[in-house]
Amino acid sequence: MAEFEVVVIGSGAGGAPVAHELARAGKGVVVLEKGPLLRPQYQTPDGVSDFKRDEMFATGPEKRITVEGMANRGESFYSSHVEPDLNDEPHVYRGPDDRDRATIEGYTAQVVGGGTQLYGAVSLRFFPEDFTLASFNRGRTDLREDPRGDIQRETRDWPFTYDQLESYYAKAERLIGINGTVAGQRKPFSADHYQKPVSPNPISTYVEAGMDALGLRRYRTPLAVITEDHAPSGRSAPTDPDTVKTAFVNRYGDPLGLKSNTWVSLLSPVADLPNFQLRPNSHVTHLASRGDRVTTVNYVDGAGRPREVSADLVVVACSAIESVRLLKLSAQAGGDFAERIDGNGLLGAYFLTHCFGGAEARMPRRYDKALSLDSDWATDAGGEPDFLREHGLWAGATMYNNTSDQALPISLARTHGAADLDTVWKVFVNDNQLVGEAMNRWLDADLGTRLSVSFMANQVPLRSNRIELHPSVTDKWGRPVAYILKQWHAHDRYLMDVMARRCADIIKAGSGVEPESPGGAYMAENALARIANHILGGARFGTDPGDSVLDPTCRAWQFDNLYVTDGSCMPTSGGANPTLTIQANAFRVADHLLQRL
Amino acid sequence: MARSGAKDDAYVVSHSTKFLARATTERRHDFGQYAPDDARARYCEPWRFPIVDTHGPAEGEDRAAAYALNDVTFVYHDADGQEPAEVGVVGTFAGLHQVTPLRRVGLPEGPSPYWAATVVVPKAQVHRYLFRLDGRLLRDPVNPQAVTMDNGRQWSRFFTDACALPLVLDEGERALLDRLTDHILPFRTSSGRRFLSDHYAELDRSEPAFVHAYRLDESVGVVNYIDKLLARQESHYLDDYRVCLRQIDRLLRARNPYSEPARMGREMFEQLYGELGSGSVTGWDYDAYAQPQFFLSLLRRHTFTGAFSHPKYGGNSAAAGWAYLQELLRDEQGNTLFNWRRAIEAPLGDNVDYVG
Repeated sequence: MAEFEVVVIGSGAGGAPVAHELARAGKGVVVLEKGPLLRPQYQTPDGVSDFKRDEMFATGPEKRITVEGMANRGESFYSSHVEPDLNDEPHVYRGPDDRDRATIEGYTAQVVGGGTQLYGAVSLRFFPEDFTLASFNRGRTDLREDPRGDIQRETRDWPFTYDQLESYYAKAERLIGINGTVAGQRKPFSADHYQKPVSPNPISTYVEAGMDALGLRRYRTPLAVITEDHAPSGRSAPTDPDTVKTAFVNRYGDPLGLKSNTWVSLLSPVADLPNFQLRPNSHVTHLASRGDRVTTVNYVDGAGRPREVSADLVVVACSAIESVRLLKLSAQAGGDFAERIDGNGLLGAYFLTHCFGGAEARMPRRYDKALSLDSDWATDAGGEPDFLREHGLWAGATMYNNTSDQALPISLARTHGAADLDTVWKVFVNDNQLVGEAMNRWLDADLGTRLSVSFMANQVPLRSNRIELHPSVTDKWGRPVAYILKQWHAHDRYLMDVMARRCADIIKAGSGVEPESPGGAYMAENALARIANHILGGARFGTDPGDSVLDPTCRAWQFDNLYVTDGSCMPTSGGANPTLTIQANAFRVADHLLQRL
Repeated sequence: MARSGAKDDAYVVSHSTKFLARATTERRHDFGQYAPDDARARYCEPWRFPIVDTHGPAEGEDRAAAYALNDVTFVYHDADGQEPAEVGVVGTFAGLHQVTPLRRVGLPEGPSPYWAATVVVPKAQVHRYLFRLDGRLLRDPVNPQAVTMDNGRQWSRFFTDACALPLVLDEGERALLDRLTDHILPFRTSSGRRFLSDHYAELDRSEPAFVHAYRLDESVGVVNYIDKLLARQESHYLDDYRVCLRQIDRLLRARNPYSEPARMGREMFEQLYGELGSGSVTGWDYDAYAQPQFFLSLLRRHTFTGAFSHPKYGGNSAAAGWAYLQELLRDEQGNTLFNWRRAIEAPLGDNVDYVG
């Protein structure tokens, strides 16, 4: 007999909703999380949080890549205190020169709460069309930059529609604690559970004016930060809600627990239930099966000792790359696991991230950007079907402004000329003219003046974009690491160009300032690594067992009790940040599991 | 003073597993900072031990008084399964003959190889310590920091926040470094100098937040920050600094035999900086250090982070770097547009919800 009814592997956006729902229903649940449990102030014996408002936490001291065989061996890297160490657990990607490199891109965070501890907390719903992009593009002859017809051949509809997921979006918004506005969004809402947004940073007025000038309907960007008391999680907002605005947002855990990460919003409220266990610092190494049932979850505990646990149902939610890796490692471990999980050869295939990018400019006036959350205004205009047809685009994008970026001096310097995690500091340390008076002028010109508008769009799914196990590089436990093979499609590049120009239009219309260099992720120095930590696909769900890894309930087709509930199930990546959709889908799967138990 | 209960088992395990637990003994974290036989090279960021953290005010404890203290958590990792019956720690933080016992830390699955104890230590201090295993004294097998005593015995070392005691750079190295960092920082402008002078003059040094503001200079403690960084997080660059500063001292003396390098005119350092940036430094020994540009890139990152990171790291003395930006960045009405105090813990900042 199994020890638990459910074991959930991973405590972030994909795992925590399942654990929350099943624990509240009285089911025996154990959550295994690779990372530590770092608590907000109100949960520790001495009132001190393990998260700090400390710029050195976001990008730590310099280390060097020592991984054998990497083209970037010997280069510097910087990781936050809850990201994995690249020498212990690298992600490896194949660069444009066909040489392998270790990268920090594609890791969210290893901590209870996963990526929701560090994210900027943008909590958007996808567009209704994002769930039916195969149908939307069927028969179109106006698609640009797709000479081989990849879009129509490779795109799949989701196995359910927006309308079928809508109630779970509403549930996620209620239970997690999100502020924002419904008015102005082009997605249908059955209920408005948003908390009241705090006043926008004045620098966002340029974006507000730009969207208005272009006739783009706008709304306050939904952010998973509480601004009022939040009964479902028992959290209290500060007397002055405006104090939630600090520049320590994106890439920072919140010492006060106001950011609605899945630990404070979903797991902490069930943590004291007798039928619930959380085991942090527990790294799952592989699953073992007999027939169509996963029988054992093997892990190393906080001391590094091998352990195992069994449960009636096994839910994998380690974030897309690591979930695929875990399933592939389990396949390697023996038995018929490999045939059952990857009989059609699709496990790891159709790995997705987002097409993302935007435009940035220096505003005519300075503002205190430290008094901000991650974003103030968003528009769905980039998802209007008429706009897509006008430009020959296959899918839309949400556009929103970033407010907290570069609001603090060290974040300004480390991202000077760099936009991703692999290239931080590189430009600043070699920009030797920035000294003395010139540094003064640079700080004066750039601190509190820079404004960006970003877009988040679907990436064309391609079978050749995939996650494998690296043939030679192993982690500190001696297991092969994830190997990322990814290219940008020509239509991706075209879409990014179109959307970046649209972002630039917003800035110019609102401020009169011509943005410096609108562009997309494909233009970066390490464009093939860039992921924006939106890691999706690789175990897509569908209605055809020959064409998908998971069934519509996120169950692996050839297993009775194995589910995958993070972003890896997505057949397309959506026109917005994915976290809320991962959470909503996990709530949907939880309902299904409750019917089974 | 031992402090029980402040840092529970969950804290200890969650601050240890990522860095210490592993199956491999490969030297994955050797960036040149270890001797060939030093097993610490297997650990990720072993400099994190002992864990120096904020001291949360206990009930009834004055917040300002608490701000002058750190909680220091010693973790003994029984990596080789020695299974000691008793583990303790002795050190200068508690009187050398007083053994502070470590407790065995538990995991949800049972006992762990971690032993831990938390003690309260004032900020700005340096201490040495040894673990005591069943009566036997030994260095911390994880923490790379060590001091060698006159009798040849090695002790482990740690320092607390805002430490201002020089640890790894000598006086001459620090003086040269002061001139180099001064050239990079924005404070050497006339308005910058005036601001810093006023800022330090107006400090109430009895205030808990500023009691460790030791060095009232134009570099806002950046040299001290670098000294601490090279002693702990980035010890793999200590040799780079030593080799390059020695070269700089030598070549400046060659260029002007009549002055101490650290006292030479500003133009000498401007010229040197330009040469370092170009990679072509007259008189440089490229066999001893091939890439002077690399040293400059290190210096640029360290200088900037030292000036603008939290003062607990030893730079940004009395938050002078932040206060400088607060002064520089103002609107037309004179209101600051860099209100750092709002988010930072009191008494250093104004925020009374966040304790640091």
